[in-house]
Amino acid sequence: MFSSLKRRVDEVLLPGDEFSFEADDTISLTEPAKPEKAVCGPGLRRSGDRLVVCKSGVLRHKAPNVFWIDSQQRRYVPAKGESVIGIVTAKSGDVFKVDVGGSEQASLSYLAFEGATKRNRPNVQVGDLLFAQFIIANKDMEPELACIDSSGRANGMGVFGAGGLLFRVSLGLVRRLLAPQSEVRSDLETLFPCELVVGMNGRLWVKSSSIQQTLIIANLLQSCDTMTAQQRKQLFRKVQQGAL
Amino acid sequence: MKDTPLSNCERDFLLKAIEEKKRLDGRQTYDYRRIKITFGTDYGCCFVDLGKTRVMAQVSCELVAPKENRPNEGIMFFNIELSPMASPAFEQGRQSELSVKLNRQLERCLRNSKCIDTESLCVVSGKTVWQIRVDVHMLNNDGNLMDASSIAAITALCHFRRPDVGIQGEEVTVYSPEERDPIPLSIYHMPISVSFSFFQQGTYLLVDPCEREERVMDGLLMIAMNKHREICSIQSSGGIMLLKEQVMRCSKIASVKVSEITELISEALQNDKAARKAGGRCGFAESMPQERITALKTDETPVETTDATERANDIVQRAEAPPQTVPSPVVPVPGVGQVGQQNTWGLEEEEEEDEEQEETRMEEDQDEDEESGGGDVVEISDSEEEEVVVLHPETTGKAKNTGSSSHQQAAAASQKRQKK
Amino acid sequence: MTSSACDTASPRCSSMMEVCEASSVSLREFGCEQSLLSRPDGSSSFVQGDTSVMAGVYGPAEVKVSKEIYDRATLEVLVQPKVGLPSVRERSQEQCVRETCEASLLLSLHPRSALTLVLQVLHDDGSLLSCCLNAACMALMDAGLPMSCLFCGVTCAINTEGEIITDPTAAQEKESRALMTFAIDSTERRVMMSSTKGSFSVHELQQCIAVSQEASEKIFQFYRDSVKRRYSKTP
Repeated sequence: MFSSLKRRVDEVLLPGDEFSFEADDTISLTEPAKPEKAVCGPGLRRSGDRLVVCKSGVLRHKAPNVFWIDSQQRRYVPAKGESVIGIVTAKSGDVFKVDVGGSEQASLSYLAFEGATKRNRPNVQVGDLLFAQFIIANKDMEPELACIDSSGRANGMGVFGAGGLLFRVSLGLVRRLLAPQSEVRSDLETLFPCELVVGMNGRLWVKSSSIQQTLIIANLLQSCDTMTAQQRKQLFRKVQQGAL
Repeated sequence: MKDTPLSNCERDFLLKAIEEKKRLDGRQTYDYRRIKITFGTDYGCCFVDLGKTRVMAQVSCELVAPKENRPNEGIMFFNIELSPMASPAFEQGRQSELSVKLNRQLERCLRNSKCIDTESLCVVSGKTVWQIRVDVHMLNNDGNLMDASSIAAITALCHFRRPDVGIQGEEVTVYSPEERDPIPLSIYHMPISVSFSFFQQGTYLLVDPCEREERVMDGLLMIAMNKHREICSIQSSGGIMLLKEQVMRCSKIASVKVSEITELISEALQNDKAARKAGGRCGFAESMPQERITALKTDETPVETTDATERANDIVQRAEAPPQTVPSPVVPVPGVGQVGQQNTWGLEEEEEEDEEQEETRMEEDQDEDEESGGGDVVEISDSEEEEVVVLHPETTGKAKNTGSSSHQQAAAASQKRQKK
Repeated sequence: MTSSACDTASPRCSSMMEVCEASSVSLREFGCEQSLLSRPDGSSSFVQGDTSVMAGVYGPAEVKVSKEIYDRATLEVLVQPKVGLPSVRERSQEQCVRETCEASLLLSLHPRSALTLVLQVLHDDGSLLSCCLNAACMALMDAGLPMSCLFCGVTCAINTEGEIITDPTAAQEKESRALMTFAIDSTERRVMMSSTKGSFSVHELQQCIAVSQEASEKIFQFYRDSVKRRYSKTP
């Protein structure tokens, strides 16, 4: 049933392209009919009995039945459960307003930090960087962040950012960096030791032992979007040999 | 729309990097970003790329009456448009502080420096002169809009050709480019603005600040200079106090930068001239980088039209022919014509009817209502000054409907009676 | 909004007189660059012959309270002329482009947000509105905004001899008797927007629509090729 989808995996699709799901012509009498479900990720929409592409990009597939469109978008749209880098823009009452690059500022309760109580407020200033997770994110509600997981632990989240550099890359590159066995990440490991924070909203934060090295890493990552794997490896090797 | 806020982390890092004489894009303190100058298809159209900053300048001209106090001088007009395309912080049609500042600086740089011979723009003294208009559009803001605008404006002015005019008595004829070759403006010198940004109260200095550097800087010094090392305008903003030595040092750096940029502009102008003479294609289309994967170009493509005609004929033939006969016009009152149906809402004719008649009509309506099986009935009675609208709620039961509606109408009627 | 039935199986009209000449029915060379500006979320420049337009899109971003719509995104289209300030002509172009974009974008997916599309005219050598539409579509696609279909713009001119010229230059536009611009959608080749000037018969209108639908195939193929090229380095 997914043959039409599977056939076009890794192909570039454009908005308006369609997949139709007609039932098979022959129904096996011996085997029980098993309804198959496809899980559609970003860029795919159901419309009646058809599946319509609504973003341009590459069709991806993850076994057994997850399909999505991988695009090089730059504007972030909040999604529940995603970890992002936010900039605190205001403190109002008992919430912080955080800019995450979406269409609306997210709110973050001051109690949503590890060990925070009504008396023991976290030390957060306007302009600080936060690594936080969306607990509410949908199109109709104000997005809400939290710096603790479900068990109340910080788990790497919270205020950070002293001494490093924040910069923007495309959302596609961020996903490539976060993918398990990411090639970009393993290439990066061959350079110099650095701390890297990756926000799903296209923001990266890097800190290395010196300003020079931090700048090199930032510039390398920003140029990764427009390079093939081979070009990237070549460039990284050059840097490693001390060309810069 | 708001711009992305600057985080403390970026600010601290930038300042620390500047202390170590490092810049975000690997430049040295006195380096300019890569400057690229391209020309459009028309005369007087120029694009300038300064790193990622991109601006476009277009020069145009028209014949106008001169200013009273300067009857034999042409008019120069400058307009910098901060298009919302360049940055989300720019708004359409609003004069922001930045736009006033840039416009003023460009005027001082190009008009007040008298770099253009305005007397040569006079056609008939006191009657007609050329007005030269320079529109500078910001396309992408990555810092240092002023330098990019000044380069674009002066290059566009150098590139511009105005039409030739002939004067016979009082008659002024403007010749098209086919009849007579257009004439370039006479430009005495080329002032170019160079921006310096200061950090830590003037301790550190950078040439050509990018957008993030502009956000953390304390002060800005703009020096407009020509290649003869004559300062045309100088402006310091941000309220920092500079020492004499600092200004002198900046003007020295500016003189070097200006001569480099002037060289580049003349080279670009020469290249364009050669390309136009050779009859080759020029303009924006040609400047599109072919080697990038984000760009693609096709050749002229013919369109298959063999079945287009057929299909059009088919559709036209299949389409319902419009009725040949026009319904005869109705003339309700002399001097008024009407074609088609009477307005079903209109009860104008019955305006002056008395109550009893109205009631009977209502009953009639009600009967019709019963026949049709219950629907919404809207009644507008014009017999009163106020309009009374009776809405029958749609109900399932026929009997109930009749009962309730008649009740309502009775109520409405009684209301009317009371008013009368 | 007009729609026309697309029926290619029409064997009977072969005896009709051929009105359009093959030589004039062609599109000038066209080109496009995507993501060329660093600030906007999506940008493109579209070139048709000498006509060129640059487009930048911001969004979905924060919306002004006065412009907020509770169940869909607010789309704002700005056309910047090359010389002077926007006037009535630009306003009408803005409206044509906005209505087309609103029809193809899935605005209900981003309620209470703002989309801003800025079109900068770089050079006008005829067919400006269709170039604006094409640049707008490429920029919206580059920004990754959800769309139900793509659209493209085709301009047809009918000259005094009754010949149809697609993608006319400024000189051809001047000499034409009628000028029509259609926005055509990519799924069913329907007409999403039409803007006409001058006088023409019903038959000529239908013929222009049919020619535009044919021309749109080429443009959509070009869209596909350029997006494919853009993603060619994505592993």
